[in-house]
Amino acid sequence: MASTATKVGSGRNKTFMAILIPVLVIFCAFNTFPLITGFLYSFTDSKGYGAFNIVGLQNYMDMFTDTRILNSYLFTFKVAVVATLLTNVISLMLAIGLSSKIRFKSALRGVYFVPRILGGLVVGYVFSYFFTYIVPAITGTESILASSDWAWVAIVVVLVWQACAQTTIIYITGLSSVPEDVYEAGALDGATGWDKFRYITFPLIMPSVTTNMVLVMKDMLMVFDQIVAMTSGGPAQSTESISYLIYNNGLSGGQFGYQCANAVIFFILIAVVSILQTKFLNSKEEQL
Amino acid sequence: MAELSLEHVGKKYPNGYEGVKDFNLEIADKEFIIFVGPSGCGKSTTLRMIAGLEDITSGTLKIDGRVVNDVEPKDRDIAMVFQNYALYPHMTVYDNMAFPMKLRKADPQEIDKTVRETARILDLDKLLDRKPSALSGGQRQRVAMGRAICRNPKVYLMDEPLSNLDAKLRVQMRAEISKLHQRLGATIIYVTHDQTEAMTLGTRIVVMKDGVMQQVDSPSKLYSEPCNLFVAGFIGSPQMNFIDASVGETAGKVTLSFGSNTITLPEAKGKVLKDKGYVGKAVTMGIRPEDVVDSNEHPADRNLSEQIDATVTVYELLGSEAMIYADVDGGSISSHVSSTNPARVGSRIEVAFDLDKVHVFDKQSELAIVH
Repeated sequence: MASTATKVGSGRNKTFMAILIPVLVIFCAFNTFPLITGFLYSFTDSKGYGAFNIVGLQNYMDMFTDTRILNSYLFTFKVAVVATLLTNVISLMLAIGLSSKIRFKSALRGVYFVPRILGGLVVGYVFSYFFTYIVPAITGTESILASSDWAWVAIVVVLVWQACAQTTIIYITGLSSVPEDVYEAGALDGATGWDKFRYITFPLIMPSVTTNMVLVMKDMLMVFDQIVAMTSGGPAQSTESISYLIYNNGLSGGQFGYQCANAVIFFILIAVVSILQTKFLNSKEEQL
Repeated sequence: MAELSLEHVGKKYPNGYEGVKDFNLEIADKEFIIFVGPSGCGKSTTLRMIAGLEDITSGTLKIDGRVVNDVEPKDRDIAMVFQNYALYPHMTVYDNMAFPMKLRKADPQEIDKTVRETARILDLDKLLDRKPSALSGGQRQRVAMGRAICRNPKVYLMDEPLSNLDAKLRVQMRAEISKLHQRLGATIIYVTHDQTEAMTLGTRIVVMKDGVMQQVDSPSKLYSEPCNLFVAGFIGSPQMNFIDASVGETAGKVTLSFGSNTITLPEAKGKVLKDKGYVGKAVTMGIRPEDVVDSNEHPADRNLSEQIDATVTVYELLGSEAMIYADVDGGSISSHVSSTNPARVGSRIEVAFDLDKVHVFDKQSELAIVH
């Protein structure tokens, strides 16, 4: 009996291994190995081709005095914070609307999910046309994409428009997990309108808020496609995100080693922001 | 506290299904009214219409003389205890109980005093800092009651509040609710499908079936004088025996015959059947198990029928007494007997009916003819 059980267990383990090992190999080859290689290159003056020298921590020290890099960090964080907040507020409102008793609810949910299906580049080009030709034609002003002061707003609009799709779905799921009788008890106790949202709905969907805040913030910090499609970092490098700068200067600007150092710092920053966000928001989540 | 009036109240859903039909009821101040009936009979729907959680599609609901059909639930001055308690899972016991008062902007000192006093009454004072997830079913049920009490409403609505508790706790909480009713002097409307709860708690019981009110009466009257076959079968556990019988007349006395047996009815009951023209017709006879007695142990003060031969098919010892299910001419009759009764499965016994407790129902309309 015991030997039969062992045979069955060993057969199952082989199946698990057959599934896991190829995935692990692919993951290491295309993720872990480049990550480690990039980390090592960050200590060199590599241009991405040819010979290079070890420069120690020089790349890291230079970053702190490079205004272009500092500006890209400022731009990226400004866009990420504003877009994350707007995305969550708008998505929550949409989710509440799409969870109420309205006609064509399922169809509307489908429509609101469409931006998620479209690629960032496609959306970027569509909005680029919108901001370059349609908005100026209506308002009679010049395109905000041409303004180094306002181009970031156009980027935020596109990011929020696209990010709302998935965020709304997560909020709808969160809202549907709140028991109906709790709302009914609230209705009898006097919790209606804003009180209902403040005292019942919001505390009970805090797990969804945490998930959305962390995921959206991470996505926004890594903004790339929309920049490529809409501004290419311009005008006057005013919309140059960190990812775009790493790609642009690292791969075609001869700063491979230097931008590898930038990527390492960026990776650490995203990890720290995500951990801090999770810790802070988890502390606000009610232990049900 | 308050009086309620439901006049021709009905609930019709968009698909045309009528959940409640022409419901009429006057509920006096401090009454403990029970809505009882099987699942889907409309009792919870009626309660939810009173609460304002369901729209009333026809009729009028008045609380203290004021029509409240279109009044928001929070403005009806009612509190409700839900089947699943519906506690706020993110709030402590204290906050759950204080929440309704807080929303009404009550004085914080008064809130604190009320919550602590209510917690003391319900034996919750040591649990005030706990979240609902850290409480047992019985404790959650008490918190739900506490939240309602803190509101000090005109009317308490309870929707099967004990159905999620185990049998022992249910009996305990039933007594607690009864005590609470006496202490608060409140008007309570209580929904249950458990006829034992209905019988033990209510001052009046409303029996419902398929959205229609069947009978409204005191528990004792409902038990002794059910208005139709459904009420007779629903109220009482174990349920009343129903026997198809035909009405006859022998030497001026009215009889009921079933199988090879005939019993002679008391004069008063016989007269009613005769006057209503049932002689020669088929009827349904009803007799409760405690009114079917073993001839060997019958007390002298009972007005018993002729003896009926029966064969015991099931014997259940319940403690001080036993239940016997016996075969009579192919039909089954249940009887409460003493636990010392020697009858066992397969025994042949002779039973008799307490003639004063025989009910007769019309076979077509199922309405009671005589009790």
